[in-house]
Amino acid sequence: MRRLRLVALLVLAVVAAGCGGGGKSAQAGAEKGKPASLTYWATENDQEIVTIRQIVGSCEQKLPNVKVTVQKQAFEGAQQKFATAAQGGSAPDIMRSEVAWVADYASQGFLLPLDGYVSAQDRGDYLPSALAYDQYQGKLWGIPQVTDALALLYNRRLLKEKGIDQPPTTMDELKADIAKFAGGRTFGFYMRGDSYWLQPFIWAFGGGLVDVGGKRILVNDAQSVQGVQFAADLVKSPGVVQNRDFANDYDNAMTAFKTGKVAMIFNGPWSTTDVLSGREFTDKANLGIAPVPAGPGGQGSPVGGHNYTIYAGTKAPDQAYAFIQCMNSAQNQALLAQNHNLLPTRKSAYSDPKVTGNPLVAGFQAVMEKATARPVHPAGGAIYTDFTPAWQQVYAGRATPQQAMDKVAKAWQQLYKF
Amino acid sequence: MAATAPAVERVRPPWRESRVRRFVRVHWYAYAMLVPVTVVMLVLVGYPLARGVFLSLTDADARNVGNRFLPASYQFVGLKNYTELLTGREGNFYPVLARTVVWTGVNVLFHYAVGLGLALMLHRSLRGRTVYRILLLVPWAVPTYVAAFGWRYMFNGDYGLFNQVLQGLGMAPRAWLNGPVSAFVAVIMVNVWLGVPFMMVAMLGGLQSINQDLYEAAEVDGASPFQRFRHITLPGLRSVSSTVILLGTIWTFNMFNVIYLITRGGPYNSTSILVTHAYIKFFDQRDFAVSATYGVLILSLLLVFATAYRRVTRSDKEVWA
Repeated sequence: MRRLRLVALLVLAVVAAGCGGGGKSAQAGAEKGKPASLTYWATENDQEIVTIRQIVGSCEQKLPNVKVTVQKQAFEGAQQKFATAAQGGSAPDIMRSEVAWVADYASQGFLLPLDGYVSAQDRGDYLPSALAYDQYQGKLWGIPQVTDALALLYNRRLLKEKGIDQPPTTMDELKADIAKFAGGRTFGFYMRGDSYWLQPFIWAFGGGLVDVGGKRILVNDAQSVQGVQFAADLVKSPGVVQNRDFANDYDNAMTAFKTGKVAMIFNGPWSTTDVLSGREFTDKANLGIAPVPAGPGGQGSPVGGHNYTIYAGTKAPDQAYAFIQCMNSAQNQALLAQNHNLLPTRKSAYSDPKVTGNPLVAGFQAVMEKATARPVHPAGGAIYTDFTPAWQQVYAGRATPQQAMDKVAKAWQQLYKF
Repeated sequence: MAATAPAVERVRPPWRESRVRRFVRVHWYAYAMLVPVTVVMLVLVGYPLARGVFLSLTDADARNVGNRFLPASYQFVGLKNYTELLTGREGNFYPVLARTVVWTGVNVLFHYAVGLGLALMLHRSLRGRTVYRILLLVPWAVPTYVAAFGWRYMFNGDYGLFNQVLQGLGMAPRAWLNGPVSAFVAVIMVNVWLGVPFMMVAMLGGLQSINQDLYEAAEVDGASPFQRFRHITLPGLRSVSSTVILLGTIWTFNMFNVIYLITRGGPYNSTSILVTHAYIKFFDQRDFAVSATYGVLILSLLLVFATAYRRVTRSDKEVWA
C-alpha cells in the first residue's frame, strides 16, 4: 500500500509538470494588445553589432508594438545553424542572410516571400545588383542590408618605404611590388587559404566558377587553372608571409596588417572598423583601398552582402516586415556607412552627407564597379566546402592546380546536378 | 511466498492465484520504478536510432526531406547507401576508418601507458601527493571544448605559445595545424592530455586494491622490481585495465570535440575521423541519408568490438562478464 501510494504520487507529479509546461508553450508572439516579440539572428561582427543594437533600439521606439531580441551569431556556421533550426520547425523571425544563403533557404521553403510587402518605389530604390540576390524563382525573399566586395587594402606608409606610390593595378604589378619586400622585415602580401579569397585570381585570368545558365562548371578550365597557378606561385615568393595556420589565417592576416608586418591584404568593408583600430591606422589616411588587380583575362572580385529575411513560420509577419523596413531605412544604412564604412544598398542612402563624406566608402564604391556577381542558385553557398580544401592543398604544394580544380569540378557536378 | 510480509496483512483471495497474478503482485513495484527510465531511453535513444536506421535506407538530403513548409519527397533506396560506402565507391569510408583506428590505437596506448606510469608514481607516499593528484585531474575537469580552444590558440602558427617559445629559442616556427601529419600529431597530443587523468585515477584505485602482502612476500623471495610489476601489479590490475581500455577505446573512437574544434577535420580532411565526418556530412553537406549510414556503421563496429573484447578478456574472476 505504501509503495502504491508512492508510485501514484510520482505519476501525478510527472503529469502535473507535463500539463503545466504544455499550457505555456501555446502562447504565440502576437497576442492582442501585447507587443509582438521577435528574434533577430545577427551575424554582424563584433564592431558592427554595436551599431545594430542602436538601430534596433531606435526602431523599437518607432514601432511600439514590436519588441526584438538581438541574438549575436558567429558568421561561420550560421548558414547551417539557421537551416537546422528551420528544419526543426523553430527558427528566429528575422535572419541576416548572406547573399548565397537566400536562394538556399528559399528553395527549402524556409523564407516568407516579401512581394506583397515591398512597394514598387522601394524596389526601385535598391541597387539592382544587390537586389538580384534576393530574387529566386520569380519571387522576392529578402531586402538587402549591405553589399560588399573584396578589395586590396594597403598600408600607404609601408608601400612608400619601398618606393611604391600607387597600389598595383595589374597582377604583374602586384608580383613586382611584392618582390620589393623580399628579404626585409616586413612582407608585401598575406594570402589566405580560403577559396573565397582565391576568386580574384581566377577572374583576373579569364576563368570562372560556374555558368549556371549554360549548365557548365568553369573552375577547371584552362584559364581558371592559370589563375590558380599564378596564385600558387605568388604565395611561394619570399615577399609573401608564410601562412602557417589555415584555420586562423583571417585573424592572423588582420593582426599582421594592423601591426604593420604586412603591407597589402585582400579584405572587404566589414573589416575596416577592425583595421582602423590597429596601431598602423590611427591615422585613417594611411589605409588605402583599391580594386583587386586586373589580369590578362579580366578583373573581378566576388560580390557579397547581407539581406534581411523573414522566417516562413514567423507568428507576426506584418510586424516583422515593418521592423526590417525600419532597420533598413536610408538613414540607418547611412549610419552603418558612417560607423563601419559598409556600403548601403539604397540609392537614396548615397545622397546622405554621412556617406558622401566618407572616403573609405567612396573607395569601396570604386571597387564595386569592378566586382563580379555570383550566380543565384541554391547550391551557391555550398561550393566553398570542397573549394577551400582543394585550394589549401595547392597552397601547401600537395596538389597541382589542375588536379585540385578537377576534384572541385567533380564535387560541384554532384552539387549542381547539371 | 517470496515477498517480505508487509506491515498490514492484505486479504488474499481464498482460491489459488494464477502464476501471472502472483508475478505481477510480487514484481509490480520493480517494474513501475523501471518505467520512467525505459521511457526516457526509448525517446532519447531508441527513437533517434530507429529514425537513423530508417534514413540510412533512403536518399534523404536537405532538398527532399521535407519540413513544415514543403512536403517530403525522398525515396526508399534499400541498402544502396551501405553498398556505396562499403565497396569504396563513395571513396571516403575506408581511409577515414583506417585513420580512426590509428587514432584510437595510438591514443589508448598513450592514455594507458602514461596513466599507469603516473598512477605508479603517485601510489607511493610522496610529499605533496594530494596536490599532484589534484593538479593532474585538471585536464579531465576542464570541459573539452575549453581545452580544445586553449590548445588551438597555443598551436596558432603565427602568435601561438609553442611557436613563440620556439622562436625565443632561436628555432624556426612550425606550421602545427597546416600539415596533415603535424595536425594529426597535434590533436593526438591534446587528446592524450585530456584522457590521462581518467586512466590515472582508475589505475590508482586498482593499485590500492592489490594486497600489499604480496609485494612483501615477493621481495623476500628475491623478485626484482620489474618482476614484481609484471607478476603482481599487472595481473592485479587486470579487471580494472580491461574495463578502462574498453571504455577508453569507445570514447576515443567517438571523440568528436577535440578533432572538430581544433582542426574541423582539416587540413583538407586529413584529420577527420568517422564521427566528425558523419557530422560534417549531416550539418555542412546536409546529406542526411549518408550521414545516418555512417552512424549505423559506427554503432555496428563498436558493438562488434565490445562483444569480441569482452569475450577475449573474460576470466573467472570477472564480476560482470
